[in-house]
Amino acid sequence: MTDSLNRLTAAIKTGKRKDARAATAEALDAGLPPQSVLDALTLGMNDVGKRFKANEIFVPEVLVAARAMQKSMDLLEPILIASGIEPEHTILIGTVEGDLHDIGKNLVMMMLKGANFKVVDLGVNVPAETFSQAIEQHQPDIVALSALLTTTMPAMESIVQHLNQSDAPVKIMVGGAPITKDFAEQIGADGFSPDAASAVELAQQLCA
Amino acid sequence: MTPKQRIRAAIDHQQPDKLPIDFGSSFITGIHCSVVEQLRDHYKLEKRPVKICEPYQMLGEVEADLLDAMRLDVQPIFPQRTIFGFPNENWKPWTTPWGQQVLVSEHFKTTEDNKGNTYIYPQGDTSAPASGHMPKTSYFFDTIERIDPDFDEDELDLEDNLEEFGPMSKEEEAYWVEQSEIWRGSDRAISVHLNGTCLGDIALVPAPFLTNPKGVRGVADWYMLSADEPDFLKKLFDRQAEVALQNMAKLHQIAGDLIDVVVVCGTDFGTQNSLFCSVPSMRDIWLPRYKQINDWIHNNTNWRTFKHSCGAVEPLVDTFIDCGFDILNPVQCSADGMDPQGLKDNYGDRITFWGGGVNTQQTLPFGTPEQVRREVLSRCEVFAPGGGFVFNAIHNVQAQTPIENVIAMIDAVHEFNGDK
Repeated sequence: MTDSLNRLTAAIKTGKRKDARAATAEALDAGLPPQSVLDALTLGMNDVGKRFKANEIFVPEVLVAARAMQKSMDLLEPILIASGIEPEHTILIGTVEGDLHDIGKNLVMMMLKGANFKVVDLGVNVPAETFSQAIEQHQPDIVALSALLTTTMPAMESIVQHLNQSDAPVKIMVGGAPITKDFAEQIGADGFSPDAASAVELAQQLCA
Repeated sequence: MTPKQRIRAAIDHQQPDKLPIDFGSSFITGIHCSVVEQLRDHYKLEKRPVKICEPYQMLGEVEADLLDAMRLDVQPIFPQRTIFGFPNENWKPWTTPWGQQVLVSEHFKTTEDNKGNTYIYPQGDTSAPASGHMPKTSYFFDTIERIDPDFDEDELDLEDNLEEFGPMSKEEEAYWVEQSEIWRGSDRAISVHLNGTCLGDIALVPAPFLTNPKGVRGVADWYMLSADEPDFLKKLFDRQAEVALQNMAKLHQIAGDLIDVVVVCGTDFGTQNSLFCSVPSMRDIWLPRYKQINDWIHNNTNWRTFKHSCGAVEPLVDTFIDCGFDILNPVQCSADGMDPQGLKDNYGDRITFWGGGVNTQQTLPFGTPEQVRREVLSRCEVFAPGGGFVFNAIHNVQAQTPIENVIAMIDAVHEFNGDK
């Protein structure tokens, strides 16, 4: 691995956004294959996810890492697209109707992007019909639902039921502060993850 | 014992005659207005619309007749202005999106979009961008992040994030004089929220009370500060503490030892299964400023200091104690590492647990009344011996909580007290 790629991985791990951008620019200017730059970036985010799950780092460190990743992706993404390199799997993500909380959902989104998933963010307060329309448009492998409030857990249940009644071949994963594995099973979701790093592992399992 | 003596005994780790109970004394130990209405019906109190004492979470005021009916020990004096920056005064009727008739301040100004979403405005100023949003199917507002278009993360200006921290206004001073006259001699313990001592409470970061906030106002941007701009936070909290000390001196001059409990800070340091920052970060950035505030209070007043933090904060309890906090709330026993017996054994003689009484994410909203009763009795048996415990649910009682479960919770505490 070249020096610029090593520096990119290190910048992601430590959340140094300017270093991440500079290392990406250098790697691309040197004509390194875009896939190798993407791999260096994914390597950094993978390490961030592992340390987050082990409680060695916390939400702020994950956010700065994700911001550094985004600075790198700003340069890398157009080149990946031009080279025909696309993520293998697509995930739709949204906070359920009635709920405006998105810190958790955004963390999951960042970690999934860092693991090279294509993530389509439907935002917050998302009703069942919007998920259905987006499934038709984006043909995702997985739909991920988030809820923070006990009062919006019923909305999560009804959205899962709505999606399960459709013919779309999608897996559904759920998460959020009051959500448990039991609740996820009870409402017919395919998986539950208690944190953003586990969400990546779950998504990889559901796509396998 | 009077309720006031009972609360003070409990906080000072002496065995009170009965386990004291709080509901409604703060904006983190309150009850959603829809549940307050049902409680009033249950206790057959005068039928009248519930007053919204805290519009962000739509908490209903637990008025004196309901405090009596539920046999509660704490009387709040609410802040002069709400989180949306207006005083609660000159009540007017308002119909909530779920159809409840409530009373709100005359300055509670809202608009509705064509999808039925409600928007609320800072300081009642509808010419400013809305600062809160309640979806049609929701029961609460959430803040709207209004990011200054000129905000530059590479050029942070401390003054931008200090706009809301200033000396006590004449208006607020007059409010405290009036409230002190009303409540002096109360036999209930008096609880107040201090103004300006919350160090980085994420609900306040977007400044829903300001018409045109500047600086770091995004939730994610704020969290990132502790990772890459700790010195900015330290300087900000130093300035906040400096102003807060002057305002606390003024409040003490007016209210004196009428006040028993001061809610110092609601900043959450925990998630369901982890912390929001490392223990060393917390000790570096927050501890010295909290200690300055708490030390001033302990050296100059007879107040007891209350810290709220949701989540899996067991690794931080020693640090909260080192900060000088007397009380920890809401004691989220369902979070990782927050085992009631472990908390009581390891910290119960050094900090008072105010909360922890029942799980509001699972048991209270979704359990049976008997499950609620058993959980409440179990928590009382663990936490109550020797004082150091004030009964409250884990955070506010949320909308859609079955009233029979709320009654089962209250009855179980009275049963524990031998009062049923």
